Amino acid sequence: MLFRKKDMLLIFPLVAAALLLLVWFTFRTADDCVAVVEVNGAVVGQYDLSTQTDTQILDLGGSYHVQLKLAPGEISFFHSDCPDQVCVRTGVLTKPGQTAVCLPARVSVEIQGEAEVDGVTG
Amino acid sequence: MMPKIMKDKLNLSSTTRKVALVGLLAALALVLSWLESMLPPLPMLPPGAKLGLSNIVTMYAAGAVGLWPAMGIALLKGAFSGLMQGSVAFCMSTAGGLCSTFVMWLLQRPKKRPFGTIGLGVAGAVTHNLAQLLVAILLTTPAVAYYAPFLLLFGVFFGILTGIVLRVVSPFLDKI
Repeated sequence: MLFRKKDMLLIFPLVAAALLLLVWFTFRTADDCVAVVEVNGAVVGQYDLSTQTDTQILDLGGSYHVQLKLAPGEISFFHSDCPDQVCVRTGVLTKPGQTAVCLPARVSVEIQGEAEVDGVTG
Repeated sequence: MMPKIMKDKLNLSSTTRKVALVGLLAALALVLSWLESMLPPLPMLPPGAKLGLSNIVTMYAAGAVGLWPAMGIALLKGAFSGLMQGSVAFCMSTAGGLCSTFVMWLLQRPKKRPFGTIGLGVAGAVTHNLAQLLVAILLTTPAVAYYAPFLLLFGVFFGILTGIVLRVVSPFLDKI
């Protein structure tokens, strides 16, 4: 017997489980995402976003009064006096590999961590 | 009085026949797994996803010669890939082979065959992949669990293929 109806009872749940896992892995925030903040190329702070439970504003000071906003699972430029505002408009960083930079203030934020899912899609 | 031994037209006892068949199947499994390791890795596949050609042999063996000879073939296959590719390959191949052989034997017991060969192939391939993934998690990092959905999908896909192939070749194997 090459094929029985029961085979579908095996195949469908397996495919469904695979797709569910895929969706889950893609959309959840990574376990280990650490935001690394650099000023003038020197690391001034590392923040584990996965253990962050409250929202806090991080004042980096400097001539542009850069403020970062830390929240559970995310980090963003909250305020900067720089003329172009590129850093603020970059928005919220949530996934490993994402970066936001304020060039005039020489501040960069990068989320580090393993980004496996990006490596295998396709 | 001599015990009566079943003999076929070639004048072979059923034990002789079975030993020869197990030997042939083991050789076939080794050759297929060697051939498979020569194939270039396909770009869209996650590392470690393979066709599972030699699974066809253990699948047939589990149904035709029983659990223990089939497990022996799976073990031999694992030892073979250990010799060719190292100890990590040995652990992964052996774990996958033994687990999937056991499952495929369970599903092929006489009068308890819930699935067709396609379902059998899928069950075997998915078990194989998941057992390998488990070993990979133990040997490396839990991060490889990210491969689970891909291994499931490819397990289903290649399981269907091996099921069809088994259906095509098993009448010829039965004649041996």
